Amino acid sequence: MPSITRWFVRSALLWFLLALATGVLLAGGVSADIPGTAWALPYPTYLHLLTVGWLTNLIFGVAFWMFPRYTAEHPRGSDMLGWLAYVGLNGGLLLRLIGEPIQLSGEAKGVLLLLSAGLQLLGAWAFVLNTWPRVKVK
Amino acid sequence: MPFLSVLLVRSALCWLAVGAAMGALLLSTKAAPLPAWVFRLFALHAEALLIGWMVQLAMGVAWWILPKYPRLPERGPAAPIWAAWLLLNAGVLLAGIGRSIGAPETTVIAGRLAELLAAVAFAVAAWPRVKAFGR
Repeated sequence: MPSITRWFVRSALLWFLLALATGVLLAGGVSADIPGTAWALPYPTYLHLLTVGWLTNLIFGVAFWMFPRYTAEHPRGSDMLGWLAYVGLNGGLLLRLIGEPIQLSGEAKGVLLLLSAGLQLLGAWAFVLNTWPRVKVK
Repeated sequence: MPFLSVLLVRSALCWLAVGAAMGALLLSTKAAPLPAWVFRLFALHAEALLIGWMVQLAMGVAWWILPKYPRLPERGPAAPIWAAWLLLNAGVLLAGIGRSIGAPETTVIAGRLAELLAAVAFAVAAWPRVKAFGR
C-alpha cells in the first residue's frame, strides 16, 4: 500500500471516529456543544465529516492504490496531484470543522470557510485530474 | 478495466468535479454575500455527490472487479449496464436540476424513478456474479 494511501485511509478512520462521536453529541440535542466554548457543531458539519472525511478519503486512498497504473515509470500518476488532493480535502475539512461553529457564533468573519471551500475544491479537482488518465480500457 | 467501468467511473469523476464546485459555492455563501440562486444549487450538489459520484463509482468498480464468468462475455451481458448508466445519469440530472430550478415535483419523481430503475438494471447484471470462486 503506497504511503499516500496510508495517509488517506488513516485520516478516513480518524474522521470516521470523530463523525460518529459528533453523531452521539447531536443525538443528545439540537446541536453538539463544544466543551469550553460557546460554539456548537452544526448538522451540516456532521454530514461532511461522514461523507467527505470518512467516505471520500477512503475512496481517494483506495483508488490511488488500486486503479490501473498510469505508466510503468509513474504507476500512480502525479504524486504532487495526489498530495494536493490529500491536503486540499483534509485541510479544507479541518478548516470547516473549526470555521463553521465560529462563524455561527458570530465571533468571526468567514475567511476560514472561504479557505475551506477553496481547499476542498482544489482537493477534489486534483483527484479528478490525477485519476482520469488512469481510468482506461485494458 | 472494461469499457463500461471506464464509462461509469469517468462519469462519476465528472459529477465529483461538478458537485465539489457547487459545494464550494454553497459553503462560500456562509462567508460572503453571493446571489440567492446559489442556495438553490443544494439539491443538485447533494444528488451529484451522493448518487452521481459515490453510487456510480461503486457500480463502475463493482462491474470491474466482481468475479467473472468462465465463458464469454466474461462479465455478462452489457445491455443492463448501459441501461443503468443512462438511467442513473438521467436521474441525477432530472432530480437534481429539477429540484434546483423549482421544476414540477413530477420531474423530481421521474428522476428518482430513473435512479431506482438504474439500481434494478445493475442488480440484475451483478447478482449472478456474486458467487464463490471457480463456479
